Amino acid sequence: MAATTDHEEHTDAPASPPAPRRRGGGPIATAVSVLGELLITAGLVLGLFVAYSLWWTNVIADREADKQGDKVRDHWAEDRGPVGLDTKDGIGFLHVPAMKNGEVLVKKGTSTKLLNNGIAGYYTNPVKSALPQDKKGNFSLAAHRDGHGAKFHNIDKLKKGDAIVFETKDDWYVYKVYATLPETSKYNVNVLGPVPKESGKAKAGRYITLTTCTPVYTSRYRYVVWGELDRVEKIDDERTPPAELR
Amino acid sequence: MSLVPWCDGRDGMYGFIWRLLPGNTWIKALLSIVLALAVVYVLFQYVFPWAEPLLPFNDVTVDNQ
Repeated sequence: MAATTDHEEHTDAPASPPAPRRRGGGPIATAVSVLGELLITAGLVLGLFVAYSLWWTNVIADREADKQGDKVRDHWAEDRGPVGLDTKDGIGFLHVPAMKNGEVLVKKGTSTKLLNNGIAGYYTNPVKSALPQDKKGNFSLAAHRDGHGAKFHNIDKLKKGDAIVFETKDDWYVYKVYATLPETSKYNVNVLGPVPKESGKAKAGRYITLTTCTPVYTSRYRYVVWGELDRVEKIDDERTPPAELR
Repeated sequence: MSLVPWCDGRDGMYGFIWRLLPGNTWIKALLSIVLALAVVYVLFQYVFPWAEPLLPFNDVTVDNQ
């Protein structure tokens, strides 16, 4: 070792290596550090996005759906003329006991903006839906599987024979599930047809079709459930629900 | 020894923010929480609602497009 003129250092730490606590010197260490922090940040943001999608949108949508549903019920209570269906605010409520999600307000249209309010919408395109009171046709609905109220989350719990009840101002329309299609292409608009052939039907009748996305948390495919009208019950003064909902 | 280990020598953006905050450790901690909540608010209120339709997680309808 070469002689040094620095006496102090020499006496304090004879022949000591460079200070061991020195950190973050090299550019590689800095790059790794920056990358690490970016990854941590990205992870946090993605985690928050999951919380947003699966929890927060439900909170917002349920709040909005309750508000809109109350409005429809208020209008019904006020009894605005003989018109049983008020298409602007919503035409009625869907009750599916097997999905265990209470009542779902149904409005016209299936735009994302509309469905994000925690409601179900009936199709106006590509295939125009029939309405429950029409003598023939297919009443076709869509709602979210996850997030934004997730009104059709439990669509896979629906089995043949389960009841789908639609409540309007004056009537209960009781449908029975007769066919399901657990996976189909999102371009398969035939499922909405007035006579949904894929469900095995060939004759015109009064059908209901529920569509949503599948598998859960993605929208690669569509899940379809078909029902056929079983009977129509008049609503009495107490709005006594039909046997299926009791 | 600093309370926050990553403030020694090598510090990235979080260390930088920590040092930028005024006050003692408690005030810094409080301000950090407020900042984090503000970021969450902006994400939930503006960023995620904007990003969501661009991601293919929640299309539920069938259509021919």
